[in-house]
Amino acid sequence: MSVLKCEKLVKTYGQHRVLQGLDLTLESGKIYGLIGRNGAGKTTLLSMMSNQNPLTGGTVTLDGEPVWENPKALHRICFARELNISAESGLSKYTVKRYLQTAATFLPHWDREMADRLIRDFDLDPKKKLGKLSKGMLSMLTITVALASKAEFTFLDEPVAGLDVVAREQFYKLLLDEYTDTGRTFVISTHIIEEAADVMEEVIILNRGKILLMENIQALTSRACHVTGLAEEVDRAVGGLDCHGTEVLGRSKAVTVLLREGEAVSKNCDVTVQPLSLQKLFVALCQEEA
Amino acid sequence: MQQKLTEEKSIYLQISEMLETDILRGILLEEERVPSTNELAKLYTINPATAAKGINILVDNGILYKRRGIGMFVSAGAKEKIRERRKQEFYDRRLKELLAEAHSLGITRQELMDHIEKGEA
Repeated sequence: MSVLKCEKLVKTYGQHRVLQGLDLTLESGKIYGLIGRNGAGKTTLLSMMSNQNPLTGGTVTLDGEPVWENPKALHRICFARELNISAESGLSKYTVKRYLQTAATFLPHWDREMADRLIRDFDLDPKKKLGKLSKGMLSMLTITVALASKAEFTFLDEPVAGLDVVAREQFYKLLLDEYTDTGRTFVISTHIIEEAADVMEEVIILNRGKILLMENIQALTSRACHVTGLAEEVDRAVGGLDCHGTEVLGRSKAVTVLLREGEAVSKNCDVTVQPLSLQKLFVALCQEEA
Repeated sequence: MQQKLTEEKSIYLQISEMLETDILRGILLEEERVPSTNELAKLYTINPATAAKGINILVDNGILYKRRGIGMFVSAGAKEKIRERRKQEFYDRRLKELLAEAHSLGITRQELMDHIEKGEA
C-alpha cells in the first residue's frame, strides 16, 4: 500500500498564512472528500501535494520520498485544477483536442481512448475553443483529464462546480466506475457535500489551514447528533460529552454532540435527539470556529 | 424550536409539531408570544408562507391565538390540550403498531408485560 504524507505543512502568501502546520496521511485505494469553507486552504493543499506550489515549510512524501521536483513520485500524482479561462489567457485559443494532447504529454499514464470516450459521453466538441466553453463544460474537461490521467493519486478541485444535477450524477458514476476498476486514490474537494458524501469513504475537514477532522464518513455521521429541548434538560442530557455549536434561544438550547466510543446521550431526559447529515455537522463545526 | 428539519415529513407539519413540543416542555409558556412567521422563516431558512402554514394549523386547533398588531400567543390550556391529543395518538397509532408488530413476531401478552415492567425499572 502506498502512502502520501504531509508533515507540518506551512504555506504563506505574503503576510497571509494559509496552511499552519498541517499533518495529513492519505492511504492508497480510497476516495477522500476534502471539504472546507471558502479560503480554508483546499486548493493550496492540493497544489502543494502535487508539486505545483512551493512549500513554505514542512514536507510532502510519497512512500517516504519527497514529492518536490521528483519525477518518479510526480508520475504517480495528477492534480486536475479548476480551469478559469479569461479571454486574454493563451489557453482560450486552444481547442479541446489540443488541450487534451498537451495534457497527455505531461501525464505518463495517459489513456487516450478513455479521454476520447469521456469527451463523447460529455458531448464536448473537440474542435471548440476553451474560451467558448461554459463553466460546466470546463468542469467536464477537467474531469476528463483527471480520469484519463490514470494517475495512482488523483486530485480533483471542485470537479462538479457549474455542472447541472444530471452531469453531476454522471460524474459520480464515472468516478465509481474508475475506482472499482482500478482502486486508484481520489481526493475530491467540493461544496456540494451531501451529494458527494455517498461516494466518499473518508472526509477531510479543513478549517483555517488546519485539519479539523479526518474520519470515515459513516463512522463520523453515526456518532454525531443534535440535541434540543429545555436548556436545563439539554445540559443534563449532554453533560461530559463533546459538544459543539451550542445555540440558546429563550429557554431552549441546541447542541451538536460528537459521541466518543461507548458514550451516549443520557436516557430519561426530555430532549429530542436527531441524527445529523455530514453537511449539517460541517456547518455546526465551522460556525463554532468562526 | 431548534430541532433540525428532516426530509421525511412536510416542513409545515414539522414546524407545528416543534412548537407543540416546546409548549409541552415548558420552553414556550401559555400566554407568551411565539416567534412570528418571519422569525421562524429565518430560523429554519424556509419560505415565510411555509412557516405561516405551520402556525395556522396550531391556530385552527386552538393552540395559538392572534393578538391583533402584536403577534401569535400560546392559548391558555394549550399544554394540556396537546398532551391529551398526543396521548390519544399514542394509543390510537403507536400502541396499535407496536401490538401488531409484537403479534407478527409471536410475542405473547405475558412477555410484553414483562418487558414493559423491565423497561420502567
